[in-house]
Amino acid sequence: MHIVVCMKQVPRDNSVKINPDLSINADGIEKIINLFDEYAIEEGIIWNEKHGGKLTVLSMGADEWVEQMRRALAMGATDSLLLKDPAFATLDTIAAAKVVAAAIRKLGDVDLILTGRNSTDDESGAFAPALARILGWPQLTYVGKVIDVNPGSKTITAERHLETVVETVTAPLPAVVSVIKDINNPRYPSLLKIKKVAKVEPPVWTAADLGVSGLVPTVTVTQRVPPPPRPSGETIDGPDAATKVKKLVDKLLENQII
Amino acid sequence: MIEYEHSDEIKMLRQTVREFVNKEIRPIAREIDEEERVPLDVIKKAGELGLLAVPFPEKYGGLELGITGYCVLMEELQRGDASIATIIGAHTQLCAMSIHLGGNEAQKDKYLRGLNRGTLIGAWALTEPNAGSDAAHISTTAELHGDEWVINGQKMWITNGSFADVIVVHAVTDKSKGARGGITAFIVEKDFPGFNVGKIEDKMGLRASHTASLYFEDMRVPAANVLGGVGHGFPLAMKTLDIGRCGLGGGAVGGAKEAFELSRQYAITRHQFGRPIAEFQAIQFKLAEMAVKIYTMEQIVYDTARKVDAGKNATLESSIVKLYCSEMASEVIDEAIQIHGGMGFSRELPLERMYRDARVTRIFEGTNEIQKSVIASELLKQVGYRIHRHEGVYPTPKHAPHS
Repeated sequence: MHIVVCMKQVPRDNSVKINPDLSINADGIEKIINLFDEYAIEEGIIWNEKHGGKLTVLSMGADEWVEQMRRALAMGATDSLLLKDPAFATLDTIAAAKVVAAAIRKLGDVDLILTGRNSTDDESGAFAPALARILGWPQLTYVGKVIDVNPGSKTITAERHLETVVETVTAPLPAVVSVIKDINNPRYPSLLKIKKVAKVEPPVWTAADLGVSGLVPTVTVTQRVPPPPRPSGETIDGPDAATKVKKLVDKLLENQII
Repeated sequence: MIEYEHSDEIKMLRQTVREFVNKEIRPIAREIDEEERVPLDVIKKAGELGLLAVPFPEKYGGLELGITGYCVLMEELQRGDASIATIIGAHTQLCAMSIHLGGNEAQKDKYLRGLNRGTLIGAWALTEPNAGSDAAHISTTAELHGDEWVINGQKMWITNGSFADVIVVHAVTDKSKGARGGITAFIVEKDFPGFNVGKIEDKMGLRASHTASLYFEDMRVPAANVLGGVGHGFPLAMKTLDIGRCGLGGGAVGGAKEAFELSRQYAITRHQFGRPIAEFQAIQFKLAEMAVKIYTMEQIVYDTARKVDAGKNATLESSIVKLYCSEMASEVIDEAIQIHGGMGFSRELPLERMYRDARVTRIFEGTNEIQKSVIASELLKQVGYRIHRHEGVYPTPKHAPHS
């Protein structure tokens, strides 16, 4: 069985700075595996340990992204693949999905694609659905539990954790799955593998290797403004605590909050 | 801050240790200090992850990432909690290191492998009530009876001593030879008959790291557990301490960096006189001075680590690292408290704990005064001059001034 995990490297989100034009300035900020992708990697390892075969981590990005791919290898991924080309530098989600889809087709034997539900830098959340649509594969989004991956019947059964309901779904393989936080408990990279994986140079496929061309972003950011400030709250006054609490409760009742 | 350029494998080690510290250590650091609790579960987890195996050969389950890797480990651990760094430090850089340096194949297979995995926890015992800085004059004795050594005596200030499975113990095997051939190291298991743990010290800092007295009453140790050969204990101990000093420097860098980061954040978020305190030159200068200290500390730690990893003798450098980094870390943490004002003095923030924890780094593993003696002695040796150590009998006053 061949599982592919699509992962990206992101700046540690609690330490990024904001540029004057409100874009993200990640210069000098520590890079980490996108939080949700780390859960996808762990889920990939769990099913790879069960069924054997290959677990490939795939990234589209610059050379420096290899650092986080090596971490995934130290966690337990068996293979890595970097998609790198100057033409890939400014893609939007759809165009990125087209490139990754071309790589998946070129790999040829992929049974399952796992990825995080969104990245913590771009926040589009549209990558997995776009990839599934382009490949024509079933898409299972917001997966909070993978119940079974069955190489015999070539099916996957999983729980989709939606806002008000947990949906159990089954789909034929190959399929695209996006996972949510806390689907599992990602393991630490094995330090015993560090020396070995630190030397790994993932194979690199370019636009020419993939036969993709004419990639233009369909969405471009034209302006960034901060959201309007929230109006300040109302302060409840009164001579003592009991009066203030009564006023507050009346107010909450009046607005049907309690 | 200025990022030190390490190799890819060291960077990966750092990121993994940092994650471990954020997840497993930071949340409990205050609590274990207050409860004086050794977090053995965390130490076991660290062992499973490989954090107890950083400098040792892969052949025995080590990561083989050298003293450089070990210093990075100490740096990151100390950012989270100095007690845990100390427990892991005594285990790794003292106990396991002396077995790595002096042990034979069978001993490494039996002990180093388990120490690397954390299935065994280690301690290292040299200091005695009357032999601290003057380590050559220990009085614990070992006598050969058939194929067993019988050890009698007492050790003091032994980190991990109360719960370690394996303790490297130094004892006098030939009093006439003194440190030059008269001291032998032994690998002792806690279950050896005659091994007893005494009281645990009530300390100013490092309260989650237990420091114990050990008593040996006719403790029987198999001859196969002599470490590094009979009579070779003192040079082995000195070599072990020598390498360990570099790791102390790494830990000091971590403590100082943590204090700096807290201070920088506080300086831009704390407002007084209608502006962030970072606007005041008094605070700016403090931050600048802290950064200068941290940058120089980091440079000498990793330059020395590189020399040790290349197999070079770095006694002089290691002593300078220990002396300088322990002094500088104390100064940086002190300034961090000053920047934080009252908050720095409060237990709500980790600074007061870091301040208490840092104090002992100027004392243990060779006081800073001993380091100055080592540094001077090494420097004079370079021009062919050897310091003469006079030994004599000095009378003890009948009425000590403070008794």
